[in-house]
Amino acid sequence: MHQIDVKAGLLEPNDAIARENREFLAAHGIYAVDIMSAPGSGKTSLLEWMIPIFAERYRLAVVEGDIVGNADKERLDGFGVPVHQINTGAACHLDAHMVHPTLHHVAEEGAEVLLIENVGNLVCPAEFDLGEDDVIMLLSVTEGHDKPKKYPLMFRRAGLVAINKLDLLDRTNFDLPGAIAAARDVHPGVAVLTTSCRTGEGIDDVVAWLEWRIAAKRAAMQHLQVGASP
Amino acid sequence: MHEASIALNLIEAVEQRLESQPGHVTAIHVRVGELAGVSTEALDFAFQCLSAGTPLASARLVFEVIPLTMTCDACGRTSGVEDLVFRCPACGSENTRISTGRELEVRTLELAEEPEVAHASN
Repeated sequence: MHQIDVKAGLLEPNDAIARENREFLAAHGIYAVDIMSAPGSGKTSLLEWMIPIFAERYRLAVVEGDIVGNADKERLDGFGVPVHQINTGAACHLDAHMVHPTLHHVAEEGAEVLLIENVGNLVCPAEFDLGEDDVIMLLSVTEGHDKPKKYPLMFRRAGLVAINKLDLLDRTNFDLPGAIAAARDVHPGVAVLTTSCRTGEGIDDVVAWLEWRIAAKRAAMQHLQVGASP
Repeated sequence: MHEASIALNLIEAVEQRLESQPGHVTAIHVRVGELAGVSTEALDFAFQCLSAGTPLASARLVFEVIPLTMTCDACGRTSGVEDLVFRCPACGSENTRISTGRELEVRTLELAEEPEVAHASN
């Protein structure tokens, strides 16, 4: 018996394409945000609030990730922005390879901002970098305040955690300060906001956070272009 | 349940390595971080299913689980992560990063001795 070295990262095939995607998005001046949560936390409802707001300000495109069907796409088709459905088949998450061809379509459409709704799942999407600029994670109050410590990877990936369904807070035993503290234990410095996609409360804050991130990317890209010119 | 796609990557990585150094694989050593987000049981099961009927069918996976540690960028100390609190226990800084515990990689293969060699020694 003898041993030979391999040293191969098992997520490297995905990470390599994610790096390509990130470079592609930067080269085309597109800001992309990946929205993740458990099923039924309100990702599509959040998009229903955000699409009309961002469509007035930017050329917008949306990617809908679902295992099967296009029910979410149908909900969003009426807004007059291109919605690209990706069906993952058996897979419980989007990966960099799946979104790669769609990014080319989105660039051809001239999009400046891309909203990606990942497959509803708190486990697997956290493992797969798509090449996005930011991750927004939704945690609804009906899911329970213990989620940050149960799904730490997801909370560490997120730049913004939006605690959704705030209108139901008094119907649950959800410990709001406890949930915020747990999210900050797992990911110190993460932005945490509260929202209700039913009443619209807090949506402005999510929009403001995204505007800040979009502006930051644009400033960084301008800086790079200025730096690159002689 | 993304272990199936990871098992496929694993099989591909091993097959690629065998191209330059062919042999009969008896064991595959895999490093899995505590916070890699992968279940070793599920990965083992997926590997058994997906390697059936291939030259890797008789290979076993040997896991080395890597504990979760963080390094503080403020005071430089590396420590374990208690109760998933990513705040430095020494200085209280929130400026920490994961040091180990995110690994997910094939490290080494164990190869059986060539059958020809075994015959020659008889």
